[in-house]
Amino acid sequence: MKLITGGAYQGKAETALKLFGIRKEDIISGEDCEFEEVLTAKCIRDYHRLVSRLMDTGADPVEFTKRLCRENSSCILIMNEIGCGIVPMERKERVYRENVGRCGCIIAAESDEVVRVICGIAHFLKGEGK
Amino acid sequence: MITLVTGGSKCGKSRYAEKLFSLFGGEKYYIATMVPFGAEAWEIIARHRKMREGKGYVTVECQRDVGSVEVPENIGILLECMGNLCANEMFAENDILKPADKIVSDIKSLSERVSELIIVTNEVSCDGIDYSPETMLYISQLSEINRRISEFADNVIECVYGIPVPRKGAVIC
Repeated sequence: MKLITGGAYQGKAETALKLFGIRKEDIISGEDCEFEEVLTAKCIRDYHRLVSRLMDTGADPVEFTKRLCRENSSCILIMNEIGCGIVPMERKERVYRENVGRCGCIIAAESDEVVRVICGIAHFLKGEGK
Repeated sequence: MITLVTGGSKCGKSRYAEKLFSLFGGEKYYIATMVPFGAEAWEIIARHRKMREGKGYVTVECQRDVGSVEVPENIGILLECMGNLCANEMFAENDILKPADKIVSDIKSLSERVSELIIVTNEVSCDGIDYSPETMLYISQLSEINRRISEFADNVIECVYGIPVPRKGAVIC
């Protein structure tokens, strides 16, 4: 498993194409994909959005992520770093951040390579390229 | 040499950029892009002016069109900051423009005329908040500008509480 993270609009999906030899068509988006697709996809972008959508259905994103790690352990996950703002007033927003953070930690722990992208520049936090 | 200095707000970007700039031997120009709007802006401007005092910079106020700013050749420029410049070019009069292409080409043409160019920018994309469409456009435009400048910059430095972390090239000081 591989994880690419970083702020919004930093060039994360572009980095997945460059570093891991996948094609644009291999990437599905957590924004609009079917939940089941995630378990077989080569690459999932906007995984933080999927977390939010899972929450809307009442599912536990942490459990889902653990299942993903078991069933699709060679996928590439792309998710935004979202935790660098003020803790939101609304409980739902706080839970969302917590879920994204926990899922990110699980994915990073399972990943052999973790990359952070800033200004289009990739840095390995974990793994080969480091 | 082109250096992009990035990081969150109040993380020592200006201080680092000025330290780096002090190593440049030629004539030094400071391009200030901030529109002084309200008391807080004046406070920031006053603090930055004090930091620059006695360093022999020529200050040029330039709130847009930095590509055509009139400066001598072969000088060094410290431009501060891209976040303001992007907002100035984007929210011009009543229109909302997408200024990334223009600003990147302005910066390229400026970089060809000078010997040293240090650009201070801003990271604004990591708080996970869905802002209004205009603000999301601003974040994506500023991020695009940062990505594209990083492609041709010699150095990209991220400041973390005053510590310069090299993302491309080297930390020179």
